[in-house]
Amino acid sequence: MNHYPEVWGRPRDDIYGPYNSSYLQTTGPKTHTQSPAVTGTSVIAVKFNGGVAIAADNLASYGSLARFTDVKRLRVFGDSAVVGFSGDVSDMQYIDRLLESLDIRENYSTHGNMMNAKNLHTYLSKVLYKRRSEFNPLWNHILVAGFDEDKKPFLSSADLLGTTYSAPHLATGFGAHLAIPILRRLFPEEKPLEEISKGEAEAALRECLKVLWYRDARSLDKYSIAVITAEGVEIKEDQVIEAQSWAFAESIRGYGAQVN
Amino acid sequence: MMSFMGHQPQSQAVGYTFSQPTNAPNKEHSFYPYTDNGGSTLGITGADFAILAGDTRSVAGYNINSRYAPKVFKIGGDDDTGEGAHIILSVVGFAADGQALKERLDAVVKMYKYQHGKPMSVRACAQRLSTILYQKRFFPYYVHAILAGLDEEGKGALYSYDPVGSYEREQCRAAGSAASLIMPFLDNQVNFKNQYIPSSGDGHALEPKKPEPLPRETVEQLVRDAFTSAVERHIEVGDGLQMMVITQNGIEEIYTPLKKD
Amino acid sequence: MTSIGTGYDLSNSVFSPDGRNFQVEYAAKAVENGGTAIGIRCKDGVVLAVEKIITSKLLKPGANKRIATVDRHVGIVSAGLVPDGRHFVSRARDEAASWRSVYKGPIPVSALSNRLGSYVQAYTLYSSVRPFGVTAIVGGWDSEAELAVDGQVGSGPKSGSGGKVDGARAGGPGLYMIEPSGLYWGYYGAATGKGRQAAKAELEKLDLSSGNLSLVDAVKEAARIIYVAHEDSKDKDFELEMSWISSLDGPTHGRHEEVPKQLLEEAEKAAKRSLEGEDEEEEEVAKDGPNQGERMEE
Repeated sequence: MNHYPEVWGRPRDDIYGPYNSSYLQTTGPKTHTQSPAVTGTSVIAVKFNGGVAIAADNLASYGSLARFTDVKRLRVFGDSAVVGFSGDVSDMQYIDRLLESLDIRENYSTHGNMMNAKNLHTYLSKVLYKRRSEFNPLWNHILVAGFDEDKKPFLSSADLLGTTYSAPHLATGFGAHLAIPILRRLFPEEKPLEEISKGEAEAALRECLKVLWYRDARSLDKYSIAVITAEGVEIKEDQVIEAQSWAFAESIRGYGAQVN
Repeated sequence: MMSFMGHQPQSQAVGYTFSQPTNAPNKEHSFYPYTDNGGSTLGITGADFAILAGDTRSVAGYNINSRYAPKVFKIGGDDDTGEGAHIILSVVGFAADGQALKERLDAVVKMYKYQHGKPMSVRACAQRLSTILYQKRFFPYYVHAILAGLDEEGKGALYSYDPVGSYEREQCRAAGSAASLIMPFLDNQVNFKNQYIPSSGDGHALEPKKPEPLPRETVEQLVRDAFTSAVERHIEVGDGLQMMVITQNGIEEIYTPLKKD
Repeated sequence: MTSIGTGYDLSNSVFSPDGRNFQVEYAAKAVENGGTAIGIRCKDGVVLAVEKIITSKLLKPGANKRIATVDRHVGIVSAGLVPDGRHFVSRARDEAASWRSVYKGPIPVSALSNRLGSYVQAYTLYSSVRPFGVTAIVGGWDSEAELAVDGQVGSGPKSGSGGKVDGARAGGPGLYMIEPSGLYWGYYGAATGKGRQAAKAELEKLDLSSGNLSLVDAVKEAARIIYVAHEDSKDKDFELEMSWISSLDGPTHGRHEEVPKQLLEEAEKAAKRSLEGEDEEEEEVAKDGPNQGERMEE
C-alpha cells in the first residue's frame, strides 16, 4: 500500500490497463439484464396416467464453469404443483420468493381453494410477459407441472418472452433437442395417457437425463426428480445417473483411441 | 490541473484511473422481445356465415413446441369455454402477444356487454381492435389478426389487420407464415381471379368470371385444401387444423388432423 | 368518572395533569366489551381461541373468521372493535412480508410483536388519530430447525466456516399480547375481552410455566376456558373458534392452522361436560371487582 489512500483498492493502470470507468457510472441509462449469468440447463417433464413427472439436474453454470453443483431447480408450490426452472438462477430465486409470498397470501384464508398448477402457470406467464414488455426480462424458461381444475394432469411451459405452450411431454433448452425425440418415440402423442404408467414416465425421464449428461456439456450427473400424483408431490433431490456406458465414445472420432 | 500541494494529481503520479466522466458508448440492448411462433391462419366469408381457421402447430426455430396450440379464439363469451360468443379472432405471429391481444379484446367485448346491455357489433369490435393495435404503435403486438362474425344484416363479416392496426373488411384473407402460399389460391378460388367465362370473347374481350358468395360446404373444402397444400410446402405449418364456423346458430368448432411431419 | 368535564379526555395524545391519556383508557374500555380471546403457550406449540358472539341468526355459521393468519407460522386473535382488528392484522401481514423481503426468512414472533407494539403506540401520539380499539394476542412458532433462506438453491458448505453448528438450539413458541396503549408483554397464557377475568383465573391454574401441558391438552383447556368465560354472558349465542401452531414435528409442522374440526368438536364437548359438572357442585367462577388485577404483572 502506498501513501495515497485515494488509490487503495484500485487496479493499477500499468498492470491492468486503464480501468473502464463505464462500470462506475452512476448516471446514464438504467440497465437491465442483457444476458443471464449463472444458469441452469434443461428441465424435462412428461404426463402419465394420473400425474406428471418432472426432472432437472442440480447444476448451475457460470458460462462454461460448473459453478454450483447442488442447486435445486425444481420448486414445489402448495401441495400439488412443481415448477422447473432453466435459465438464470438469480431470476429463479426471485420468482421463488414471489411464489413464496403468493403462497403465504393464499393461505391467509382457509377456504380450501388452493391455486392449482394451471392457475400458477397463468400467473407466471403473465409475470414473464410483463417483464419482457418492460424490456427487463426474467431470463428463464419454466415448466409447470401438476393438475388443472378438473384434477387432470397438467403440464405447460412459459419462457422469458411470455410465450406459452402445452404438450404431453415438454423440455427446455438442450432437452428440446435431445429429450423430446426420445419422449415422443416412447410415448407417441396419439397414445392415450391412460396407457402410460408412473414407472414408465419416471424411467423415461431418467433415461433422457442420461442422454443429456452424455451430450450436454452444461449438464450434471446429479439431478432432482419430482412425481406429482393425486397423493401429492414426491420429490427426490439427490439422484445420481446410474449405469452409465461410455462405450459409444470409442467410436467417436477424436474422442477415444481413434484420434484422427 | 495542479493540486494545492503543488504536486501532480495522484492519478497521473501512480497511474490509477479514477471515476471520470466516460465517453464509452451506451450499452446496447441485446434482448429481443419477439419471436416467431410460425403457423398460418385463414378466413373466408359467405352469405350467412364466416369461417376462421388456423393450424395448431407452435414452433420456435426448427423446434416444434407443441402440436396443439390453438390460434383461433372465441371473443366475449360467458366463460372459459367461450360459450355465448358471437365474434371470433385468429392471431398468428408472436404467440405471447397474440394471447395478450386476445385477452384484451375479450375483456373489452365483455365490458361492452355489461355496460351497454347488448352485445358489441362486429363492426364496433373491429374498430376497437384497430385502436388497441395502434395504441401500441411503437412497441407493436407482433401479430396478424383476423376478426370474424356476422354483420347487422346477418352476412358474414371478416376484418384483417396488420400489426399496427391498419384494417380492412374483406371477402377472404390468409395470414401467417404460409400466407403467400394460400392467398393466391384464395384469389383464384374465392374471388375467381384469372378465371374467365369460356368463349365469351377473344383476347382482352374475354369476360372475367364474376365472384359470388360461396356455399359453406365449398368454403370448408377450400380451407382444407389450402391447409393440406400449405403443409406440403411450409415446414412451420402442420399437425392439426382448427376451424371455427360462425352462423346464426352460433359457433361450431371443427378439428381435423394434418400431417405431423 | 372524574375525568368527564375536565376536557382532558377529548383529544388523543393529551395527558391529564395526573399523567393519564384518557383516549387510550377509553380504547381499553372498547376492548372490555369484546368477545373473550385467549392464547396458551406450551412447550410444543401455541393455541389461540376466541368466543365469537353471534350478533344475528342470519350470519352463516363458521364464516366470518376472527383468527387471522399473518405468516405461515403466526396467527393473531383480537378482542374489541373488529374493523380495528382487521386493520391491525393487515399491518401485521405487511410487517411479516417486509421482514421476508429484507431478511429472506420468517419474522420471529418477538420481532413481529415489537413492531406491532410500536405501530399501536404511534396511534396514541397524535390528535388526528384515535388509538386502536383492540387488544391483540399474537401467537407463533419460531422454527427450531435451521430453515432455508427464502429462494435458497443449494445446501451450503457442510463444514468449516459458514458450515452448520451442531446442537445449536433456537426457536420455539411465542405468545404476546398487545394493548391499545402499545404496551406488550410475552405471556405463558394471555386473555382479553369481556370474560378475561374468569379466563385469567383459569389460565393461572394451569401452571403453564412448568411446561407440563401438552398442545392437545392446551386445545381442550382453551375450549373449556372460553366456555367458562362465556358463563357471564349466557344470554348471547357464541361460536368457539380455535387455531394452533405446533413445533415442526407436531401436527401442524410449525404452521398456523385452524384446529381440525374433529378435535375442535371433541374439545367443545369436553368443555360443555365439565361445565355441567361444575353446575352441579354449585361452584362459582371467581370474580374480581371492576378494574382490579387486570394484568397479571406489569
